[in-house]
Amino acid sequence: MTSIYLLTLRQLSGRWRLLIIALVSALPPLVAVMALYSSSALSVDAFETAVLGTLLAGAAAPLVVLAIAAAALGNEVEDRTLANLTLTPVPRWRIVAAKLLASITVAGPFIAASAFLTAWVAFLGDATAALAVTVAAVVGVALYAAAFLWLGLVSSYAIGAGLLYIVLWEGFLSGFVSGVRLLSIRHYSIAVMHALDPRRFAAGPHVAPSAAVLISALVFAGFIMLTVRRLRRMDVP
Amino acid sequence: MGAEPIIRLDGVSRWYGSVVAVSDVSFDIRPGITGLLGPNGAGKSTLLRMMNGLAATSTGTITMFGEPVRDNPPLYRRIGVMAEHETVYDFMTGREFVLMMARLRQVARPAEAADRAIELVDLADAQHRRMGTYSRGMRQRMRLAATLVHEPEVLMLDEPLNGADPRQRVHFQQLLHRLAEGGTTIVLSSHILEEVEQLAGTVLLIVNGKLAASGGFRAIRAALDQRPYHVRVVSDAPRRLAAAVLGLESVEAVTVDPDGAIVILSRNVRDLQVELPRLAQSSRIGLRRVEPLDDSLESVFGYLVER
Amino acid sequence: MAESVQAGRAPGTVFDIGYRSYAGRREGRGRGRIAVFKNGVRTALGLGRGGRAKILPWSFLAILTGIALIMVLIAGAATRFAGPAGAAKMDLPSHVDYYGIASILLFVFAALVAPELLCRDRRERTINLYLVRPLTGTDYIAARYAAGLAVMLTAVWLPQIILFLGLTFDAAEPVAYLRANWLDVPRFLLAGLVLATFTTGLALLTAAFTDRRAYASVFLVGLFIITAPFTAGLASDIQGPAGQWLSMFNLTNIPMHVNDIIFGEVSDVTKDAPAGKLPAAVLVGWYLAWTIVPGLVLWARYRRLSP
Repeated sequence: MTSIYLLTLRQLSGRWRLLIIALVSALPPLVAVMALYSSSALSVDAFETAVLGTLLAGAAAPLVVLAIAAAALGNEVEDRTLANLTLTPVPRWRIVAAKLLASITVAGPFIAASAFLTAWVAFLGDATAALAVTVAAVVGVALYAAAFLWLGLVSSYAIGAGLLYIVLWEGFLSGFVSGVRLLSIRHYSIAVMHALDPRRFAAGPHVAPSAAVLISALVFAGFIMLTVRRLRRMDVP
Repeated sequence: MGAEPIIRLDGVSRWYGSVVAVSDVSFDIRPGITGLLGPNGAGKSTLLRMMNGLAATSTGTITMFGEPVRDNPPLYRRIGVMAEHETVYDFMTGREFVLMMARLRQVARPAEAADRAIELVDLADAQHRRMGTYSRGMRQRMRLAATLVHEPEVLMLDEPLNGADPRQRVHFQQLLHRLAEGGTTIVLSSHILEEVEQLAGTVLLIVNGKLAASGGFRAIRAALDQRPYHVRVVSDAPRRLAAAVLGLESVEAVTVDPDGAIVILSRNVRDLQVELPRLAQSSRIGLRRVEPLDDSLESVFGYLVER
Repeated sequence: MAESVQAGRAPGTVFDIGYRSYAGRREGRGRGRIAVFKNGVRTALGLGRGGRAKILPWSFLAILTGIALIMVLIAGAATRFAGPAGAAKMDLPSHVDYYGIASILLFVFAALVAPELLCRDRRERTINLYLVRPLTGTDYIAARYAAGLAVMLTAVWLPQIILFLGLTFDAAEPVAYLRANWLDVPRFLLAGLVLATFTTGLALLTAAFTDRRAYASVFLVGLFIITAPFTAGLASDIQGPAGQWLSMFNLTNIPMHVNDIIFGEVSDVTKDAPAGKLPAAVLVGWYLAWTIVPGLVLWARYRRLSP
C-alpha cells in the first residue's frame, strides 16, 4: 500500500499544479489581511460567511480537492494504467485508501495553512479559533476528497458534475434552503468549526455539531465503500 | 492427458449493449504455450481480459486453478499480465517500475527479483533512465520484466510482439520457450499466423467472437490446406489457358466466367503460385490479373463451420 | 500481376486484390473548415456520442431556459394579480437581469464546453488527423472557436428569446408591448454576443494550455468563482480609483458592465461594483482587451502547429 501511496504522490505533484494550488490557497489569507487594514471593519458573522464560508470552504477548498482527488483515480483510468494496481493481490480497499490518503496529503497542507492563516489574521491571533477553523477545513478536505475520488473513478464527465455540485449546490442552494444544508459538505465543516470553538462561533444558523460529525463520518465511509465497490465491479481498461 | 486444466472457460459470452464481442466460448488451457489467433476485432483481447479478471463475463464462468478469476486479488500472485497498450509511467525509471510491481505483488525479495527480471530482458544498462526516454521496444521489454518479476505460473500476453524488431522477436521466443519448459502456462494472442506458428503448441482460432478451431497447430493448418481455394485469373486467352491449366497437378477444377475470366479451384495454392506463371509463359498467354477469391480467416471459419 | 525473380530465389507474385483509388470530386479547404466546425458543435453538445455525453450540456441548456421560463411565469402572475401598472412598479427581473442571474451558469457551461473542443484532440493526438489535411492550424482553431461561439450563443440567446416571447404574450396587449419594447431584441442579442465571445475566448484559451479536460474546467471555474468575491470584497473596502480598478478584475463582471451600457440601465449584479463608475469608453475598451487578446494568443498558439 505504501507503494501506491508514494506513486500517487508523485503523480499528483506536478510543478505547475502545485504552484496554482499554492496561489489559490493564498487568496483567503490575503483577503483577510486586506480586510483587516480596510476602513470598514466586518463583523465576525459577515467575515465568517464571506471569507471562511464562501471563499475558503465554498470555493477554494472544493476546487483544489476536485482537481487533485478526481485525478487520483481518474487519470489512471484515462491513461489506462489502473491495471498496474488492480492486477495485484493488494486488497481493493487498500488501493482506494492509499489513493485517498495521497490526495489528502497533497491538498490538505495547502488548505490547512490557508485556513489557519486566514483565521489567525481575522481573529487577531486567537489560536483556539484558528485551530478550530483549520481542523474544520481539514475535515472538509477529507470529505471532498472521498467524494471526488469516487466521482473521478466513475466517469470522465464527472468533473462537470463535480463543478455543478460545487457551484450550484454548495454555492447557491445551501445558502438559501436550510434543508439542503444537511447534504452539504461545506456546512458539515462549518458545523465542525462551530463545535470546536463554541464561544467564538456559537451564533448564526448552522447544522447541529453532533449531527454534522455523525453525518460526516457516514459520508466519508460511504464514499470510500462506493469507490471500492466500483473498483471491484468495473472493467479495468 | 489426465492433468487438470489450468484455466477453464465454460460458456463464456460478453456483449456491450447489442454488440456481441465474445460468443459462447468454452475451452481448457493446459500447461505450455497456447496461442489465441484471430483477425483484429475478433474478440481476442476481450477474451484475454476476461481470463485475467480485468473484465467481467456477461454469462459463463472462468476458473483458474479451480478458483474464479474475477474479484479474486490473491490469485494475482500467480498470474502475470501484459496488456496490448502502454501501461508505464513516463516519470519513473525502468528499475523503479519493476521494483514497484515486485512490491505490489508481494515478492519476498523485491530488489533481487527486479535485478533478475531486468537481466532477463537485457535492459540492465538502461534501467536507471526514465521510461519516458525509452524507445517503444525498450518500454515493451521493461513491461515484460515487470510482468515476470514475481515468477508467475500463468502468463497472459496480448499482442506481445507488436512493433518488436527481429532481434527482439528471436530473444522473446527463446524466453517464452524457456519459461514454458520450466512449467509456466502461457497464453498469448496475436493476429499474425507466423508468430503463433513459431511459438504456440496449441492454437485457438477466434473469429467474430466465436471459437472457430482449436487444437494442435499442425492439424489446423492441414485442415486449412485441404480446403480448396478459388483463384480468379484474367488473361489474354481464357479458354486456351483453362485447357492448359487442367493439366496441372495442383488444379482440381476450372470454371469459365461469362466475362472471360476463369476461376481455378485448387487445393494447393503454393504449387499453383509457381506452376501457373510458368505455364502461362510457356504457352505465351499474358496474365492480366490473378486474385484469390476467398483468402481470409473468415472464409476459413465459414468452411470449418459448414463442415 | 508482378513477378519478381531474384538471383537464387523462387519467383514471387503480387496479387491484385481490387484496390481502387478515389475518383470522385475533391472538396477544398472551406469544406474542411465547415467539417471541423460541425464536429466541434456536435462534440460540445454530446451529439452522436451516446446518452452519457449529452447529460451535462443539455442539463445546462434546460436550466438556463428554465430560468427564463420562471421569469416569464413570475411576470405573468404579477400582471394578473397586480395589474399592468402594479407590475411595472415592482421592477420585475427583465432581460438585463437575466444575464446577471444566469452568468455564473454560463461560465461553468463554457468551462465544460471549451475543453471538449480542444483538449481531447491534443491529448489523443487526433489533431494530427486534421493537420495532415489541407487545413492549417489557423483553420482549425478558427473553426473550433466558431463552434464554441455557436454553442454559447445558443445557450445565451435561446432563453432570452423565450423570455421576450413570454413577456409579449403575457402583456395585456401584445402588439402594444411589442411596439414599446422592440428595441429589447437587438439589445439582448448584442448583449448576448458580448457575453458569449467573452466566455468562449477565455475558456478556449485555458483549454489550449492543458491536455486534461478536468484541469481546464476546474481552473476556469475557479478563476471565475474566486476572482468574483475576492475582488468584489476588496474593491468595496478600498475607496477611490484604486478600488475601481481592482473591481475591473472581477472577471464575471467585465461583460456585464458592457451589457449595462447596451441596455442603458444597471443590473442588480453590477450595481454595487465600483467599476461601474468608470467612463463607458474605459469599460468597453477593457472588455475588448479581454476578448480580443485571448483570441490572439489562441491563434498564436495554434497557427504554428504542424503534424
